[in-house]
Amino acid sequence: MKLQLISCDVLFREMCTLVARTTNRVDVQFLPKGLHDLKSDQMRTRLQAAVDAVPADTYDAIILGYGLCNNGLHGLKARQTPIILPRAHDCITLFMGSRKRYLDYFENHHGVYFKTSGWIERGKAEGDLKQLSIGHIHGMDMTYDEMVEKYGEDNAQYLFETLVESQSKSYGQYTFIEMGVEPDDRFERMTREQAAERNWTFEKIAGDLSLMEKLINGQWDDHDFLRVPPGHRVVARYDEGVVHTEREEST
Amino acid sequence: MAKIDEIYEGVCKGNRKLVAEQVQAYVDNDGDVVELLNDTMIPAMRDIGDKFSRNEVYVPEMLIAARAMQAGLDIIEPLLAAKGHKARARVAVGTVKGDLHDIGKNLVVMMLKGAGYEVIDLGVDCPVEKYEEAVKEGAQVLCLSALLTTTMPYMKEVADHFKGRDDVKILIGGAPVTKEYANEIGAHGYGSDANDAVRALENILNAA
Repeated sequence: MKLQLISCDVLFREMCTLVARTTNRVDVQFLPKGLHDLKSDQMRTRLQAAVDAVPADTYDAIILGYGLCNNGLHGLKARQTPIILPRAHDCITLFMGSRKRYLDYFENHHGVYFKTSGWIERGKAEGDLKQLSIGHIHGMDMTYDEMVEKYGEDNAQYLFETLVESQSKSYGQYTFIEMGVEPDDRFERMTREQAAERNWTFEKIAGDLSLMEKLINGQWDDHDFLRVPPGHRVVARYDEGVVHTEREEST
Repeated sequence: MAKIDEIYEGVCKGNRKLVAEQVQAYVDNDGDVVELLNDTMIPAMRDIGDKFSRNEVYVPEMLIAARAMQAGLDIIEPLLAAKGHKARARVAVGTVKGDLHDIGKNLVVMMLKGAGYEVIDLGVDCPVEKYEEAVKEGAQVLCLSALLTTTMPYMKEVADHFKGRDDVKILIGGAPVTKEYANEIGAHGYGSDANDAVRALENILNAA
């Protein structure tokens, strides 16, 4: 098969490893992780532009290295080429290999930030994506000094506690997911150091490439993948299947 | 009807110290606290909330305005109670089970207080039992917040739990939450942001 992969670059090392090993011919396009920090309709617009730029009659399918991503894929349309999307809320399902494993972990571990090589190397929004991020447009990414200048010392203290420190109160753990594609232990080490700095718990778990592998290899069973035929779009469902499709209404 | 400009501006600008001083001076001069609340303080929060919805002010401005408002409320609340003044309704606000995000939820709490409601803040990670307790404490409307699509389904669980109970209304909101989802799970209202939550709550109470 000839496939076009459009993926979040948070999955960069994993996808590259799998693309190198597959018998399929896969063309690759990565989009910045910062799309995740945009308002969901803006994320969809950018992803749609990438989908629309794929030439017709060239690929058997467009495969997406995404999940529902906070509704960022809600409404995404397949044009001439079918789209294949993993049934996942977000990339953590892809790192863990199944949404059941993610859900079990989520339910049993409160206040966890996940780290992988991609989240460390490519986690921060840059350029215009930073300016357009939800945090920035709501004024939630200011430094303490900026707050003092704008709102005075008394308010700045309060804002810093409310917008910055409260997050640390709710979260208390870094979980490093080791995918087996890392060159050495540098990413694990960085996560350990960050956990120590914040006085958070550290845990390392083994990732599972199988879901991404099935995506790249073309093993798209209905349980784990959504097939969006031409003329249909992705619709968020918030049930076990996460996403489903709807026929585009002709306008 | 008498709007007191210094207090109004003090709330809008988030000047907590000035609001506390001016409200205290007003009280010391035997000013009417119900009038102060209804003609100055609530309209000031409504003003800042509308500006937020129009993207003219942002989260920090909302937070400091609400804090200034609270400084004034702390002074007048005992006096309001002594006068037999009743809040417009008692409501509860909480982020649903599994979800630990509280900035949006806190903004909703502040906006509802600022609009004259009595608010029970249930915090984050709320199981259905917590909402049930709030109802026992007299909450007429339960406001549910979620930031994650992974935790949104719990809103449905809460809505299902209270289905058929005419005395309990459900209002939902949060970044990934939509009006369609609110309809789908049978919630009585949907707030697109913290300011819109006030409007949605008023609609629910007016319809009841």
